[in-house]
Amino acid sequence: MVEIVLNSINTGADGGLAPNAIPGLCLLVDDSALVRKIARKIFSGLGFETDEAENGQIALEKCRGRMPDVVLLDWNMPVMDGLEFLKSLRHTDGGREPAVIFCTTETDVDHIQRALANGANEYLMKPFDQESLVAKLDMVYYRK
Amino acid sequence: MSVDELTKARSIADSAIATMQRYEIPTTPANYAIWYEYHAGQSPNLQRTIDVLISNNAAFNENTLQDLYATFVSSAKEAQAVREISTHALQTLQDIVGIAALARGDAEQFGNTLRGFASQGLGESLGNLKSLIETLVQESQNMAGRTEYVGLRMRESAGKIEALERNLESAILDSTLDGLTGVANRKSFDTIIRKSAGEAMNSGDELSMLMIDIDHFKKVNDTWGHQTGDIVLRHLAQTLQKAVRGGDHVARYGGEEFAIILPNTDGKAAVSVAENIRETLAKEPLVIELTPPITPTTVSIGAACYDPGEPLAEWVGRADAALYSAKRDGRDRVELN
Repeated sequence: MVEIVLNSINTGADGGLAPNAIPGLCLLVDDSALVRKIARKIFSGLGFETDEAENGQIALEKCRGRMPDVVLLDWNMPVMDGLEFLKSLRHTDGGREPAVIFCTTETDVDHIQRALANGANEYLMKPFDQESLVAKLDMVYYRK
Repeated sequence: MSVDELTKARSIADSAIATMQRYEIPTTPANYAIWYEYHAGQSPNLQRTIDVLISNNAAFNENTLQDLYATFVSSAKEAQAVREISTHALQTLQDIVGIAALARGDAEQFGNTLRGFASQGLGESLGNLKSLIETLVQESQNMAGRTEYVGLRMRESAGKIEALERNLESAILDSTLDGLTGVANRKSFDTIIRKSAGEAMNSGDELSMLMIDIDHFKKVNDTWGHQTGDIVLRHLAQTLQKAVRGGDHVARYGGEEFAIILPNTDGKAAVSVAENIRETLAKEPLVIELTPPITPTTVSIGAACYDPGEPLAEWVGRADAALYSAKRDGRDRVELN
């Protein structure tokens, strides 16, 4: 799966990235160390550089330091939740650029609708696995 | 409406009906309105939200459909006045359809009317919406007239409506339960497994699954008949319910196969639960007098602990493989994978 995806990036078959392009920086925002670990493994396998934050506030500081290309974003977190982070991010300099994928156990229409309305590019329901995560990445990043 | 508009509306209506059938969505007026809007492409937010649900393989259950309707369809700014009336009418219709489905299966007739209406071509104009509602109201009255359970007086009697609402709720509840055994059905098992695994992924808590299959069940059916087979299934379901804790979930997975989801349970603890089930079956067998006497039921059980990040199908596959090992190694035993 990893090979197939990397292959399609390198060939740029569907107007994707240029040959040999580096996939970029992915910021993993989740208060669960386990979720970050699983996501880190998948993104690293795809060639991404990864950074992590355990809540929205830390994530926002990291974004102000260096804007990531992709953000995998949990909803329910202490200090600052995912939606608050997203709203602030989109009003930060350069903050409209990153592809934001919400990644949460919330599955109802209200959450999905609010995420999209506030600038999320995609929405992934937990539990995720390599295949479902790559499918979302394909929608918002590789085809961008 | 021009010929082109009519053709377009008809094709949207056809797509809406096809999609509803594909996702097994009941053809109520409100649901039809959602899927008509989705295919008409006039509401990007509705479309994106539904696309998220589809791409995550989420179930279009009663709550999700109600939320979609409330969020996107009934609140559309245009045609607000008509929609207010129609929402009320649609709600009443939905109740009647739900009750009729429960009582008689007359909803099929209603679905046909809807389909007939769709093929005539429903445009986006208010006049069309209004005439749609009128036709549906007429049809629902016809339907109500045919059903002693739902009389025309129902809308006049608050008490009656309340009772009907309770019935609707129980109908909704029933749709998540297996009719024969009363435990969760396969459809709700799929929802439970996703929810449990999502929570386990967040918390890092252990999560296990048991796959339970009755040994030589075919022989039970062949020797003592299907009615006895049903009694055996019910007895096992009761035994499973008694063997688990409050937060555990028992489901009928298919035929003579059951599944149990055990939160906060590692592989070793899951095996003890499984052994306990086996022992309880031996200690408290089903007592019915039959000729020839019925052999006590035994089960084979496969257990597997969730590994966060693995596809759910893989986890289920591991439990199934363990069940297969238990069968192969002589039945009436537990295997952990």
